[in-house]
Amino acid sequence: MAIIHVPRPPMSAFNPNREASALLRTQVEHMHIAERRLPERYRTKIYVNAIQTEGEVAAYIGQVTTAIAQAHQDAARKRAKLTARPGSMLKIAAKSDSRPRSKSKSSAVGNNSAAARSKGKSKSK
Amino acid sequence: MPDSATPGFDGLEHIVVLMMENRSFDHMLGSLGLDNPNINGINNATDSPDTTGAVVQPQPLAEFQGQLNPDPDHHFPAVDLQIFGGNTDPNRTANMQGFIKSYFNQQRDVAHSQKIVYYFSKDNLPVLTTLASEFALFQCWFASIPGPTICNRAFAHYGTSFGRVDMNPVYISEPFRSIYSRLINASPKHTSKLYYYDVPSSTMEIVNILQNQPELFGTFEQFLNDCANGQLPDYSFIEPNFGDHESDGGAQAANDQHPDHNVQAGEFFIAQIYMAIKRNPSLWTSTALLIVYDEHGGIYDHVVPPSCIADQFTATANDTGTNFDFHFDRLGVRVPAVLVSPWIPQGAIVNRTFDHASIPATVTKFFLGDFSPRSPRETTANVFIEPKGPQANLNNNLLSLAAIRTNCPEFDV
Repeated sequence: MAIIHVPRPPMSAFNPNREASALLRTQVEHMHIAERRLPERYRTKIYVNAIQTEGEVAAYIGQVTTAIAQAHQDAARKRAKLTARPGSMLKIAAKSDSRPRSKSKSSAVGNNSAAARSKGKSKSK
Repeated sequence: MPDSATPGFDGLEHIVVLMMENRSFDHMLGSLGLDNPNINGINNATDSPDTTGAVVQPQPLAEFQGQLNPDPDHHFPAVDLQIFGGNTDPNRTANMQGFIKSYFNQQRDVAHSQKIVYYFSKDNLPVLTTLASEFALFQCWFASIPGPTICNRAFAHYGTSFGRVDMNPVYISEPFRSIYSRLINASPKHTSKLYYYDVPSSTMEIVNILQNQPELFGTFEQFLNDCANGQLPDYSFIEPNFGDHESDGGAQAANDQHPDHNVQAGEFFIAQIYMAIKRNPSLWTSTALLIVYDEHGGIYDHVVPPSCIADQFTATANDTGTNFDFHFDRLGVRVPAVLVSPWIPQGAIVNRTFDHASIPATVTKFFLGDFSPRSPRETTANVFIEPKGPQANLNNNLLSLAAIRTNCPEFDV
């Protein structure tokens, strides 16, 4: 089968100054909702009500899309740092085990049997 | 072990969906009916009255750009007028006679309003018409609701629009996950990606998916690389470029075909996606590509949208902007839809009814089997690829050839 030619659109088809359609204005609205949920350091300085053209829409949407991705990446990095320090977490747990127990009556009676039960359980670590 | 009778279906690994913008079936593919009487296109089109009472015939005079300006109204009230011709009686019958009246309302220009029934000749859309003729043409694929983009695209992502018929954000109000979440959270895990054109174009699904799961997204450039490197996920959804903008790669013309963007740019885009898959032989034999449009964009089609199983939501008369509540029990206007695979017989025509809920329905059943919860509209939607296993209705299997075709078209992109 012969290769089918696909005509390219003319250069005149490209017009970033074209007035933004209702669809693009809706996309801006939804992006603005998402932008308002971002911490301030991620937000653009763009006044969305002033956006009129397709080029301006793209500039705004590009910034917000990038900011959302960045915010998630930063959160993931922070999460990874917290989970990468197991040593310090175990030390805190060991410290709490060595604290002297209170000498109240109820706790003394309860703790003996509770301590005996938890001894057996803690060995599974 | 005997060779499979349906190796294409058995070997299917990837489903790709490209959703374009705002063009009706008759407008883009209706010309095919003039050559093939089995296609319900312009050959069966009806004349439409304009606002003077004159009868207007559809004509092959659609232009690539500059004609449908202003953008034809495709919000719920306007589509209601288009479908019912202005009849607001509770017992009314759809007649598809209101398109010209609707477009007239926007500019009060009789001559201009008649252009809403113009369609493209076959030669002007070499990519879409070739693919429709060579692979499977769905001539009963409808928008999910008679309304605009955002709520129709929601059906493709969630199987419902959660009661929305307008362009306001779709907030998830029931535990119906997006198709992407279902796949990546399944056990065993499946892979899924939404490819938007580039960052400045981004996605139309912002409030839920982009905001909460940006890692699900990639760019069109990544799609091309993933095709070349054999790294395409199990399920891919592609969004076109929604607006003209400059980028590091130069001028990026919108290619979504939404009026008044250049239709040829969209043809080029469709061809790029097709050839990206075809150029990787392993991918070509194991991928099915669905090309579909989100809604008709206010443009003429002659087929009355059918009723369907109601979704569990109701849009009030206030929500719809008409005198009526809407129970999501009637589909929107017919849109172009083509399924591409080298295992599909040439010239296949599909007459079963589909809408965008068929997309998550198909992908879910194919990769995950039984899954709940899902919306009533999704659970009752037809699937365009049969699920594996005993649930498959092989009479409906489109990837039915016993041997792969070697005569599939190629484009110079």
